[in-house]
Formats: sequence, structure tokens, C-alpha cells
Amino acid sequence: MNCLEARFSKNLSGFSLNVSIELGEEIAALFGPSGAGKSLTLRILAGLDRPKEGKIVLNGRVLYDSASSVFVKACQRRVGLVFQELALFPHMTALENVAYGIKGPNKWEIAKQWLDKVKLEGLYDRMPNQLSGGQRQRVALARALAPKPDLLLLDEPFSALDGPMRRALRRELKRLSLESRTPTLYVTHDIEDVCSLASKVFLIRDGTTLATIDVSKLWNPDTQESIWHSLGWGTLIRGKITEEDGNLYFKWDKGRLKVSCSRNLVGEASVFIHPNHVKLLYPDVPVAPELEANIMEGKVIEKIAINGSVRLYIKSSGIEWHAEYPGDSYLTLEIKDGQDVLFSIEPSKISVLSPCDNSVN
Amino acid sequence: MTSSLIISLKVLAIDVPLLLIIGVTLGWILAKTEFRGKDLVDVLVILPIALPPSVLGLYLLMTLSHIPFVREAEILFSFPAAALAPLFPSLPIMIQAARSGFSSVDRQLEQAARTLGDSEFKIFWRITFPLSRLSIMAGLALASMRALGDFGVTLMIAGNIPGRTQTLPLFIYSNVEAMNFFEANIAALLLTAVGIISLLVVKKLEGKRIELS
Repeated sequence: MNCLEARFSKNLSGFSLNVSIELGEEIAALFGPSGAGKSLTLRILAGLDRPKEGKIVLNGRVLYDSASSVFVKACQRRVGLVFQELALFPHMTALENVAYGIKGPNKWEIAKQWLDKVKLEGLYDRMPNQLSGGQRQRVALARALAPKPDLLLLDEPFSALDGPMRRALRRELKRLSLESRTPTLYVTHDIEDVCSLASKVFLIRDGTTLATIDVSKLWNPDTQESIWHSLGWGTLIRGKITEEDGNLYFKWDKGRLKVSCSRNLVGEASVFIHPNHVKLLYPDVPVAPELEANIMEGKVIEKIAINGSVRLYIKSSGIEWHAEYPGDSYLTLEIKDGQDVLFSIEPSKISVLSPCDNSVN
Repeated sequence: MTSSLIISLKVLAIDVPLLLIIGVTLGWILAKTEFRGKDLVDVLVILPIALPPSVLGLYLLMTLSHIPFVREAEILFSFPAAALAPLFPSLPIMIQAARSGFSSVDRQLEQAARTLGDSEFKIFWRITFPLSRLSIMAGLALASMRALGDFGVTLMIAGNIPGRTQTLPLFIYSNVEAMNFFEANIAALLLTAVGIISLLVVKKLEGKRIELS
């Protein structure tokens, strides 16, 4: 049974949002490139932005309906939101932050229990600026869950964290969300976040939700074909992982990449390369050590400037590579269509995905 | 000098709460709301800083003298006028400080509070005001100093009546005119000391604000 049914649209100058989301008691990801409308979707669901038309129903409660002019304010929606920048109240302690949304006489006890649940026992009196990035993230998560929301929304919850912390927090979020049986929707542009946490993924691009996919079927060849083509973003290659001289390589028919992953992934696999991790190289500048392993030559097929970013489509080794970088980077390379370029990918930035990888790693 | 000092302190006792209430209210409206004619209100709010005190005083005199209640209650050239006059040149300082304090509060914090179930009124008292209070206190210290030191507007609408409307700046003026430099210097020294203390307070508050952010 669906807890959340949302269909809405909104027009902004040069951008229109058309979203359709159905969510049960589960964790789902809203996945898409920068500027796709992911954060705006969350803001509309939370009641911080008003769509132009549509309907949002949460647990049978109509939160928004353009036909009958219903708009429930954010403060009455019971929708928890973890902001990308966390938005912890800087003048309050961790405990005060978590207790903020709890009503009733036992609020301090409940807030302490939540801080204990996110493994922050004894840090009740710390101010946000006295906590590490991961601890702040946990406080934000506890604060959003403590008032028992009907829906939990998270905007790029792991973007500021490094590998081990990111994995630990994914586990944390999965546990808390399932324990509290709160339908959870989180925004990400990292395929690892999708595979390791969500049971369902909504693909969004240029403001439109293109498809809803069961994550266990995400890497089925049939699904891949339609999804990655429709998403048209990121580089996905199928091949196999081999071990040579103690190093791991991902090989396909026309090339290979050095990768950094677990040895038990040797065999058939797919890799996904985030467009931001495809780095262009300057021909006359020494290459950074982490980029030396995977240097490739390619030809720019198309260059598109969008929302302050530049997207490049590069043909190399039989693959169409997608690169994305801020509009003010690589200006001296004067990139244009048809130009030959050198590029590389850091091995640790290559996501290696075994078929149907849906485990928490 | 004692009576002028007492009058100045009484003026401050009335003006400081008024500066706080009016300044915070208008500062919040200008920082957080959008309405038609906001640009005009913005200009009118700052205008008293741009006008010479004599011009501001003249406008006030002309306006107030046409209000029947003000005429009947004989407010002009009395203590109430002396208390009212310094508000006009000092309010813009207070409003601007409150406005910049409110604007500097990250909107996401208020939005987070909204998603946690708080009404706008509660958000103001729990988030917006506490996070902008250092700016507001710094603005209040500066605006109070400006009110204490007002000369031109007070002279125009309250006159320079010893024991009734003569504040410390007017006392200095009268004593200099009478070549009584000793008393004028003492009063000037007093105002200077208060000014230095206020600026030190402002500096300290500013330092704390930077530390917090």
C-alpha cells in the first residue's frame, strides 16, 4: 500500500518540474544529475515550496490539491526533512536540536533516546560546531526522526562525507528508517547510495521523473538499456574484473581501467563512472599521481552548457564517456566539439557494481 | 548640568525600549517580507540619516503642529517632544541593524524549524531573534548613542529650555555660547566616555557574532 502519492508540476523560468512519486513503507532514492529538480521536489513535498498544480496525499491526508485549493503548511505536514547543509541550529546543543520538534513533557528523555540511537551518547551538550561532520549528520537525522514524521526526506545526506563515514551512515539510516517504519525518500546523484540503501529508485532528469525502478532489477540488462539511455547521464560499462600483478582491472572489449575495489568482485561486473569524476588533463601539465593509472585519449562529440555546468560527451575506447564540470573550469583548454582531449578517472572513484548489488557495503 | 543629565537619562529610558520595539518590528518586516512599495518604505526609513537635522526637525515641527492632539496636549517644546525628537535620527540605525541581523540568519534554519512543526511566531522567538540578537544589541547601542547626542532635531521641536527640554548636548551649546567652557567640557567629557563605552560594547558584540558564525 502506498503511503505517499504525489503528482505535481511547477514552472520556473526556463525549467519545468513534472513529478510523479508513489512510495510505500520503504526507502527510495530520487536519482538524477545536478539541476534535475531533485531538491525542489523535496521542498515541495515538505511544504516549503508550492507547486503550480497537482495533488499530494500522505497516509490518506491531502497535503496539497490544486483542484480544491488545499495547501497544508510545512509546520502541519509531519514531514521530516534533512537538508543538504543539515541546518542544525547553531545556538542550541545537540540535545536541544533533537528535542526541538518533540512535543510533550518527556521531550528531553525522548531526545536523549534518539541521540543514543544514533550513537551520540554523552554528546548531549555539544554545540554543532563542536561536532564532527558525521556526528552533525547523525544529529540532523535524529532531529528529523524524533517527532515521528509520516515521511522522511533527505537531501543528499551523504554528500559531505568520505568513504567509511558514508558507509556507516548509510547503515545507520537504513536501520533507523526501517525500525521507525518511516517511508523515506532521499536525493542523491551517487549510484552507490542508490544501490546500497534504496529498494526503489525514481529517475529524474531535466525536471521530469522518467522511471521508477526496483533497485534489485537496476542492473538487469533489459532495465539498464532503457534506463541509462533515458537518463542519458553517467558512464556505465559492462565487462569483467581481473587481477594482474596484484592490481585489479576492469576490462571490456576495447579497453581497461585500473579500479580499486574488493577482490571478491573479480568476475563479471559493471562499472559506473560519475560524470564529475571524469577529469580532463592539460597536455603540458604533470598529471596528479591518482590520475596516472587511467589516462585515455578521446574526441569531444558534444559540449553542452547547462545551469552553470558543462557536460561533455567524449568518445574513447568504444565508449561514450560523460563528463561534467563547473562552467569556469578548464577554460584554457578551450574545449569545443570535435576536439581531441586527454582525460582520466581516479581508480577509487570508479563504482564497481556486481550484478544485482543491493547490499549495504 | 545635573538637571540636563537627568533629562538626558529620562529621554534614554523612554527611547531605548521604543527603539528596540519599533526597530526590531520594522527591521523584521523589511528583512523577511515582500510587499508592494517596499522600495519606497526602504527609502523613507533611511531618509532621516540623509537629511540635515535642522531639515528633519523643521519637517517634524510642521507636521506635528498640524496634528490637533499634539497641539491641544501642548507636546511641542515640552519634555515629551524632547523624548520624541531623538527617535527620528536614531531609528534608522536601529532598523538597519535589526534588518541586517535578521537577513543574516540562514533561511534554511527557519525552514528546518517549520518542518519540525513550529509556527512563524515561535520560529521568530526560538530561531530568528536569538541568532540576530548580537546585531540587534550592537545596533541598539549605536542608536542609543545617537539619541543621547541628538542636538538639531531636539532643538527644532523641543527647544532649549533649562530644566524641561535641555538635554546634555543643548547644555553644552548654551554654555559655550555663554563662554562657560569648564561646564561645557565636563558635559562633553561625560558624553565622550559614554560614546567610547558604547563603541567598546558594539565591538565586543560584533566579535562574538563573527565567532558564532
